[in-house]
Amino acid sequence: MNLNQFRYVVGESTTMMARRKAANAFSIVIMGLCLLILVVFILLTLNVQSVIDRASEEMRAYVYLEDGVAASTSREIQMKLLGLEGVEEVVFVSKEEALASFRKDLGDSKDMLDALGSNPLPDAYRVKLKPEYIRSEYLEKLAGDAGKWEGVEEFRYGEKWLGRGEKLVRGFYVVDLCIGVIILLAVIFVIANTVRLTVLTRQKAIEVAKLVGATNAYIRIPFLVEGAFQGAVSSLLAIALLAVIHGFAQRFLPGVMFLRGDSIFGFVVFCALLGALASYGAMRRFLKV
Amino acid sequence: MEQDQRIIVGVYHLSKTFGKHFSLHDINLQVTNGEFVFLVGRSGAGKSTLLRMIYMDDVPSSGQVVVGPYVSTKMKRGTIPNLRRKIGIVFQDFRLLDDRTVFENVALALKVAGAGIGDVKHQVTDILMRVGLYHKRYDFPHELSGGEQQRVAIARAVANRPSVLLADEPTGNLDPVVTRSILELLFKINAGGTAVLMATHDLDLVKSFGQRIIYLDGGRVVKDKDMIYVGDLRDRIADSKISEKADRLEDRDITGDRGDRR
Repeated sequence: MNLNQFRYVVGESTTMMARRKAANAFSIVIMGLCLLILVVFILLTLNVQSVIDRASEEMRAYVYLEDGVAASTSREIQMKLLGLEGVEEVVFVSKEEALASFRKDLGDSKDMLDALGSNPLPDAYRVKLKPEYIRSEYLEKLAGDAGKWEGVEEFRYGEKWLGRGEKLVRGFYVVDLCIGVIILLAVIFVIANTVRLTVLTRQKAIEVAKLVGATNAYIRIPFLVEGAFQGAVSSLLAIALLAVIHGFAQRFLPGVMFLRGDSIFGFVVFCALLGALASYGAMRRFLKV
Repeated sequence: MEQDQRIIVGVYHLSKTFGKHFSLHDINLQVTNGEFVFLVGRSGAGKSTLLRMIYMDDVPSSGQVVVGPYVSTKMKRGTIPNLRRKIGIVFQDFRLLDDRTVFENVALALKVAGAGIGDVKHQVTDILMRVGLYHKRYDFPHELSGGEQQRVAIARAVANRPSVLLADEPTGNLDPVVTRSILELLFKINAGGTAVLMATHDLDLVKSFGQRIIYLDGGRVVKDKDMIYVGDLRDRIADSKISEKADRLEDRDITGDRGDRR
């Protein structure tokens, strides 16, 4: 392709879109609405993911010490805990602090503690784990090992809740992935067909260009540009509509996350590529000799 | 007038089958430089298929087509656009781009060939003046009559100064008055040195010109009448049957064509 042809191809791309404003707008709206379903789904997934992450962040394990354990043994336990690869932070909680906190939690019923006379709670270490180590298998093993250490009464990590939570999260990801794949396929299908219709309406132009000796690249490039343009603009439309929905949702659920800037950029690029690819695919049969 | 006998289009033992059915059977013909040849046959005789083989829109089942340096059996797909720039093609249905002006339709052929913007402007202007449509350069095809649209199609076909013009029923949609004007234009182009191979089902239209006629029937060449007239065919049009018909129509003033009334 020489410089003149390149210039004509660029001109052709803009002319083609400018002369078919209504058809282009129609395609963009259809694709935008379709993509909106996808971005709403992505945003929901991200927000659920963030709730799950926050829950894990707040999760703590407790190492209860035997009554009257020596200070040196206690420090040794702390050092051992800090030496474990999944442990992020270890904080000592004295039996007095634990009782005060328990009192606070009990609220109006705190008087029943007075009936006990002495403090029944043990000293403990509150262990914060790295998120990737909050797994039943790891913690079960840890509880087994640490439970045998000298001076350790018990290692508790809310095993019942963690097991249930893990099942729930796993179930959520499986369902989420399945729905995500279905939505993505549906979106690709709609976009491919919308772009295909654009190409079909220009079938005559393709034939004419071939007859007068246009190369496949000369014919194809304006269509690829148009497909990419439709993909990119429709994705921006979907993001804009998502922002409106997000703004509305925030009134009821403050703290609802929005997509990050780089995710939006990636999404727009993805949609532009999808549009161009759909255009390429739709043109293939017209460009065979 | 001395004729250059260089073969512009050569078709050798060409056959085309669709399934078990022969669409073209062992076709042999040559068109020499500057020649005007009519390809006559009924609908379904294989005229369009033969022309498609020549501009290599389809490949022969056997045999070969040679157009200048291009040989169908040795062609790579990527060189077909180069061949198409060397031949002009005109159809019964004009095949103009509806969303482009007359000027843009003609310019397309030059642009795909990579001509500079100045050349495009200059050449399109020149061609449109030659076909008498310069004043309609900003019109869109739907604003033109059938005859005018065919003139634009012819202008586009000859924009790259092809050595041969293939015309597939170029007057099939036109009344006798317009048909005469289109034939005049094709003869004029031929007089300028471009060979013309025109397919038509209308034997009456062409036999009075005394020009070479290839008869096609059932996918075979049944007769290839030798060329008996050499020279500018425009001289012959006044005596042709098409002119008689056109004159009769003009006398009765029933032609509906807006642009080609003279």
